[in-house]
Amino acid sequence: MRCHFRNIVWIMIALLAGCVIAGCVSLRIEKINDGAEILPPPEGFTAGKTSLQEVLLYYGAPTDIIDMQGSLALHYQRTFYRGGHLSIGVPLGDVYNASPKFDARGDLALHDAIVFIFTTDGLLKDMRYEKSTSRPLWDTYWE
Amino acid sequence: MEKACWVVVSLLIIACFNSCAVIGRSKDFRPFDESTLMGVTPGKTTAQEVTELFGAPSQVVKLFNGNAYVYERSLSKATGLWLVILTFANFDIQHDRIVFFINQDDVVSHYGSSFKTEAASYEMPF
Repeated sequence: MRCHFRNIVWIMIALLAGCVIAGCVSLRIEKINDGAEILPPPEGFTAGKTSLQEVLLYYGAPTDIIDMQGSLALHYQRTFYRGGHLSIGVPLGDVYNASPKFDARGDLALHDAIVFIFTTDGLLKDMRYEKSTSRPLWDTYWE
Repeated sequence: MEKACWVVVSLLIIACFNSCAVIGRSKDFRPFDESTLMGVTPGKTTAQEVTELFGAPSQVVKLFNGNAYVYERSLSKATGLWLVILTFANFDIQHDRIVFFINQDDVVSHYGSSFKTEAASYEMPF
C-alpha cells in the first residue's frame, strides 16, 4: 500500500509539472485556404481561337479583372497558407527583471493562379498557369 | 488519505488534458441569387436591368471597351482546437462571384459566375 501511495505522489508531481510547462510552451499550427481549386486549362484553349465567353463558361467569374489599356486580363487565384509558431518562455518578470523567451515562427503562402489575356476582339492572346499548392511544403519553405 | 490522493490526481488529469474546440462562421453577405441569372441575356440585357436584378455591384471596373460589374460575397468557416500546449486552427474561405461585362452601349456582352460558398468546410489543418 505504501508503494502504491508513492506512485501516486510521482504521478501528481508529473501532472503538476505538466501544468506548469503548459503555461510556458505553446505550439500553434494554422492552415488557411482562400478560394476554390484552379484547374489547368483544357487542351482546347488556344491563343487566337478561344473566346472570352468560353473562358468564362469554363472558369466562371474571375478573382480580378485588369484593364491593360487595349487588352483585358482575367486573373483566377487560390491562396493556400500554412503557418507554425513555437513559443517557449519562463514568465519570471515578477520575480526577476528578465523573462527568458524563445519564439520561432514560419509562414508559407502558396498560390495557384491562371491568367488569361484577351485582345480587343475578345480572343485569347496569352495565358499562364501556375500550380504552387502541389509543391512540397517543407522544401518550398527552405528554397 | 489514499482516496483524497486519487481525487487530487483526477482533478490534475482534468486540468492537464482539458481542451477547447471552437467552430466559427463568418459571412460577407450580398443578396444575389444564382437563379436570377436566368433573366440575363447577353446582347439584350442592359446595365440598368442588371442593377435592378442584382442591386448595386460590389465593384465596378473601368475597361477600354466598357465596364465590368462585379458582385461578390464570401463565407469563411473556422475550426480551432486547443490541447494544452497545442493549438490547431483552420480557415476555409470560399466566394460567390458574378461578373457582367457591359459594352459601350450599356448592354451585357458576356457574363461569368462561380458559386463556391457551399464548398466551404470545417476541417483540421492536418
